Amino acid sequence: MISLIIRRLFYLVIVLVIITFLTYVVFFAGNPNDLAARFAGRDAGTAEIRDAAIRLGLNHGFWYQYWHYLDGLLHGNFGLDFQNAVPINSELARAIPVTASLVLGAVVLWLLIGIPIGIMSATHPRTLRDRGGTVFALTFLSMPPFVLGLMFLLVFYFYLTQAGITWFPAAGYVAPSQSIGQWADHLILPWLSLALVQAAVYTRLIRGSLLDVLGEDYIRTARAKGLSRRTVVFKHGVRAALTPVITQLGIDVGTLLAGAFVIERVFGLTGLGQLALNAIGNDDLPVVAAVVVLAAVFIVVMNTIVDILYAVLDPRVRLT
Amino acid sequence: MSLLRAAVELEVIEEQNPDAKGTEQAYEGRTPWRLAWGRLKKDRVAMVSLGFIVLLFLVAIFAPLLTALIGHGPNTQYTTSGLSLSGIPVAPGHNGFLLGTDDQGRDVLSRIIYGSRISLEVGVGATAVALVLGLVMGLVSGYYGGWIDSILARFMDILLSFPILLFAIAIVARFGPSLDLLIFVIAMFSWPYIGRLVRGQVIALREREFVEAARALGSSDLRIMFIEIAPNLIALAVIYATLLIPINIVTEATLSFLGLGVLPPTASWGNMIAEAQTGDLFTVAWWFLVFPCVALVLTTLAFNLLGDGLRDALDPRHGRSNITPTKRVKRSARSSGREKDNSEGKRA
Repeated sequence: MISLIIRRLFYLVIVLVIITFLTYVVFFAGNPNDLAARFAGRDAGTAEIRDAAIRLGLNHGFWYQYWHYLDGLLHGNFGLDFQNAVPINSELARAIPVTASLVLGAVVLWLLIGIPIGIMSATHPRTLRDRGGTVFALTFLSMPPFVLGLMFLLVFYFYLTQAGITWFPAAGYVAPSQSIGQWADHLILPWLSLALVQAAVYTRLIRGSLLDVLGEDYIRTARAKGLSRRTVVFKHGVRAALTPVITQLGIDVGTLLAGAFVIERVFGLTGLGQLALNAIGNDDLPVVAAVVVLAAVFIVVMNTIVDILYAVLDPRVRLT
Repeated sequence: MSLLRAAVELEVIEEQNPDAKGTEQAYEGRTPWRLAWGRLKKDRVAMVSLGFIVLLFLVAIFAPLLTALIGHGPNTQYTTSGLSLSGIPVAPGHNGFLLGTDDQGRDVLSRIIYGSRISLEVGVGATAVALVLGLVMGLVSGYYGGWIDSILARFMDILLSFPILLFAIAIVARFGPSLDLLIFVIAMFSWPYIGRLVRGQVIALREREFVEAARALGSSDLRIMFIEIAPNLIALAVIYATLLIPINIVTEATLSFLGLGVLPPTASWGNMIAEAQTGDLFTVAWWFLVFPCVALVLTTLAFNLLGDGLRDALDPRHGRSNITPTKRVKRSARSSGREKDNSEGKRA
C-alpha cells in the first residue's frame, strides 16, 4: 500500500514536469521578438521591444527560461501579465473562489441526483422507472451544459422575471463571506446546468455497473441464504458497483472543470474560465498559461487522490 | 463446430423471426451483420434516429441547393425584410423566414443548414481520425503488452483525464482559431476513448486459439494484428464511433461558442448560439437562440440513440441481472426484442 502511494506520487511529479514543460513550449517557445512584441503592445518601437525582451528574460537560453518559469511556479508565482503588467497571482486569487464554488456545488448536486436514479434503474430493470431513468439520462446526456444553461437563463431568469416572478437573480457572483444565501441563490442555475448533464452520465454508469454486479453469482448466493433484497442491493451490490464509478470520477474532474469554464461564460461568472478567455482576446499569454497549468495540476492531483482511494477501496488494485 | 453453432443460432432467429422462410434460404445470407441489422430494424427509436441522421447528411450535402430554394443566403443581412423598423428580428414564419431572423437580419434556417456542414465535418472528420489512431494504438498496446503497453496505456489515461477545452485554450491562444486546427485538436484528444476500449478487447483476443494458430503458421505480428484480430474489433469500433461523433459535435459547438473554434460570419451552431447570447435581444426574439440549440440537441440525441441501438443490436447479451426473481427466461427470449423483456420486468 505504501509502495503504491510512493509510486503514484513519483508518477505525479513526472506528469507535472511534463505538463509544465509542454505548456511552456506551447506558450513561450519560439521567436523571442514575437513574444516581446506582444508584451510591449501594438504600437511599440524596436527599442521598446528589446526592452521588453530583457524584462521578460527572453535574452537568456531556453532551458534557463524554463527553469526560471518552473522556479516561479514552485514558489506559487505565475509572473506578470502582458496586459497591465500586474502579478497574475492576484487575478487568480479573485477567480479561484468563483470556479471552486461552481465546481464543488455541482459535484454535490450531481452525485445526489445521479446515484439514486442509477440505483433505481438497475434494481428495477426494464420497468417504467428504468425507462424514466433512461429518458432522463438521454435527455441531459445529449444536452451540452452551455445549451442547458442558456435555456435555464432564458426560461427561469428572463421569462419568469418578465412575468414578475423574481426567484432567480441576474448573473453574477456573490462571495459566501458576504451572504451564504445570496451566494447559493446566484449559483443555483449554474450548478444545475453543470450537474444535470454529468448526473445523466452517472445514472447510466451506475446502472450498468450495478447491473453487472447484481448478475454475479455471489449476489444470488446472498439472496439464497435469505438476506433481504434491500440488504443485498445496498450492502453487497452498491458497494462493489461504486468502485468503477470512482475511477470515472477521477477522469471526470477534467470534464467538470471544462464544463465550469463554459458555464462561467454563460452566466457571466468571473472565474478562471472567463479569465483565460478574456486573456486570449487580449493576447495575454502568461495569464492563459497560468490558468492552463493550474487546471492541469488540479486535475493530475485529483487523479492521484482518486487512484489511491481506489486502491484503499479495492484491495485487488494494490497487487498490480 | 462452427456449422453447429450457426445452426443453433439459426433456430434462435427463427423463433424471433416468424417471417424467416426456408432454413436453406435463411441460412445463406445470415452473416452476423445481417443478424445485427435485423435486430436494429426492429428498434424503432434507433431507426428514427438513423433516418434523422441520413436526412441531416443530405441537408449538409445539398446546403447550397436548399438555401437557393429558400431564397436566403446564410450570410446575407436582410436589413429591410429581415428586421422590423426598430431593429427587432422577424419572428418565425413571417416575411418568408421559416425560422425567423437573427439580430443582424440573417435567415436562421439558412444559417442552421450551413451550420450542419461544420458540425458533421468536424464530428465525422475528427472521429474518423480518432478511430484510425485509436485502433492502431489500441492494437499495438494490447497485442505487445509489456513496457510498450504500460507507456501507451498510461499515455491514454493522461490524455483522457484532460479536457479538450484546456488544450484548445492553450493552442488557440498561441496559434489563433481555425477549422483545421479544431479538427486536429479534437481528434488528438478523443482517440484514447477508442484506444482504451480496443486495447481491452485485444488483450482478451490475443490469447484465443485462432491467434495461436496464426502464430503457429508463422504469421507476422503485423498480419496477426491487422488481419486476424482487427476484424473482430469492427463491431466495437462502429458502436463507439457512433457514440464519439456526438461528443465531438458538442466539442466543436462548445469551442465555437467560446470563440475558440469556427469564427463568425461562417455559420456554426456554436457561434450562432454565442452571437445570440451576446446581446439581450434574445429575450424578445427567442428563436435565434433556441433553434440552433434545438438543432444541436436533436443531432446529438439522434447519434446517441443510434449508438445505443447499435450496441443492443451488435451485443444482445448486454446488461442482465440476477436480482430479478425471474431468472428462468429462455435464452432466445432474452436476446429478442423489447416486448418480451418488458413482460419480464413487469413480473419483477
